[in-house]
Order: sequence, then C-alpha cells, then structure tokens
Amino acid sequence: MPKKVVSIVVFPGSNCDRDLDIAVQKYMNVNTELVWHDDPNIKNQEMIFIPGGFSFGDYLRSGALATKSPAMKEVIRLSKKGVPIIGICNGFQILTECKLLDGALIDNCKRLFICKENFVKIENKNTPFTKNIHKNVVQFPIAHAQGRFYTSEDNLKRLEDNNQIVFKYSSRDGKINKSENPNGSMNNIAGIINKNKNILGLMPHPERAVNFSEDNDGISFFRGLQNLL
Amino acid sequence: MNLRKLLKMIYRVYINFKKGILDPEAEAIKRTIDSMGYKTIKNISKGKFFDIEISSSKNTLGDLEKISSDLLSNPIIENFKIIKK
Repeated sequence: MPKKVVSIVVFPGSNCDRDLDIAVQKYMNVNTELVWHDDPNIKNQEMIFIPGGFSFGDYLRSGALATKSPAMKEVIRLSKKGVPIIGICNGFQILTECKLLDGALIDNCKRLFICKENFVKIENKNTPFTKNIHKNVVQFPIAHAQGRFYTSEDNLKRLEDNNQIVFKYSSRDGKINKSENPNGSMNNIAGIINKNKNILGLMPHPERAVNFSEDNDGISFFRGLQNLL
Repeated sequence: MNLRKLLKMIYRVYINFKKGILDPEAEAIKRTIDSMGYKTIKNISKGKFFDIEISSSKNTLGDLEKISSDLLSNPIIENFKIIKK
C-alpha cells in the first residue's frame, strides 16, 4: 500500500520545515509534500503542518503576514472540514493570527530570544494529538522571542473550561509554577487546541527532539500522530 | 506647501497595546530614562503608526477600518485609531 502523504506549508522565512519533514517522514511513516505559501491548492489533506521559523521576517507581528497567503486561506477552509492541523512555534503564531486558535503570542516578558530545553507537561491527554504519548511530562526545546501566550480572562476561562490547554511549561516532575515559565505565558501555557480538537498549536519544537536517542520525546509525539491518519 | 501635497489623501493609523498588557520594550525604555536621572516620568507606553496614502475617497474609512482590524492590528492585544492627516 502506498504511504499516505501529509502537507507542510512553507513560507518565505520558514526555517524548521526541513527538520519537520525529516521527523514526520521517519516517525509517522508517511511521505510529505512541501506546499509553497502562494499555492492555493493543498492536494494532500490527511494532515497539515505549519512549521516554525520567521515567516515574512516576522514583520508587523509574528505570523501576521502569513495569514493572508493563498495556502493559508486553503488551510482555514480545510480546518472547518476537520482536517488535522498542527502549528509549531511560528506555525502556532500563524494559527492564532488566523483566529483558528485563541489568543496571541507576544514578546517574551524579558524580551530575550530564548533557546533551551524545556520540560512541558501534557495537560490534556484526551486529544487526538496527545493520547498516544505515554509520558506525562516531555522535554522539547523552545526557541522563540514572541512566545508569551496572552488572551482575555474570559477566553482563558473558556480555554480551561473546555480543556483546550494541552501543554504547559513545567518542572521535570510536572510542577507548574512561575519559576518554570520561560516567557511569561499566562498560566504557563505552551500549547492549545481549538474547540473541535482538530487544530493544535504549540511553541516548543518536538521536531528538534528526535535526533539523539530513541527516548527523545519528539519521537513519541510524531509516532502518536499516526492514529490521526 | 504645493497643491499636489495639499491634494494628497493620507490617513494615519495608530496602533497601541491594550491596557494591562505588559510591554517589556516600553518598560526597558522607561528604566533607561529613569537611569538618565529624570524623576518625573511616570509611565511610558509604546505604539506604532502607518501613514497610508489613498487614491480615492470612496469607501476609504470603511476599507481602512477593515485593513486596520484585519491586518495592521491584532484586536486581542491592540487598539487602533485612524486620523486624517
């Protein structure tokens, strides 16, 4: 049987598309198609990834200009049909700017670009994206300057009430507190899903946590996504 | 001022953070001003503006409002204001 094909949308300034491509092919056992941002057609609709990087140079706000790309218009249309969509780092920023996910990702509270390994607690394992990850706390690198999750108090409550908060920055043993919050995100939020549970956005980079050993947590993240295909 | 300049239709769109959102850049600038010895500066907020020249006055404000809310600002974190220059 031929392998399934998932799509990765690439923008001018994306720089995690190749890492993602390698991780997805290797651990999801699929082929990939890289879709250039000005292509209004996305042929392979099994699953769509929006990779990290600096789309359009992060001009205006991170992710803002990418929202108007023809490929993103198609992503928005397909998202309403239930196609699984995952945005990582800049991809998460693009999905919030498209309003496919709640909130905004703004300057880190200390205004530094943060690049380090971070522990992330899986707050909700009852999602198609996380149900196959065996650990409760995973280690994914983060690399961003605008990763501080912000939303209104009402929206935050809604996210919590609907169990839409999927990942939170934590200690190694899963404790959530201010000292484990690298960027000042509200309630340590590192990743959320939409209400229909087909769109995931996260700031940490699972595709950068696959290289060093079979224990790397990115591997179980991508393997776990196979059930969505 | 020459006539051509007078006839130009330019609008300015101001964008700033909504109240209560921490702006670390404005905070850092405020701290630097404090360190310069100025004692009377209480608070600083930062914003940006776009000068937009248009070619027709038809639907201008409606279009500018849409552009401002749909692209130039993010309504979750920012306010915008349009003025004619």
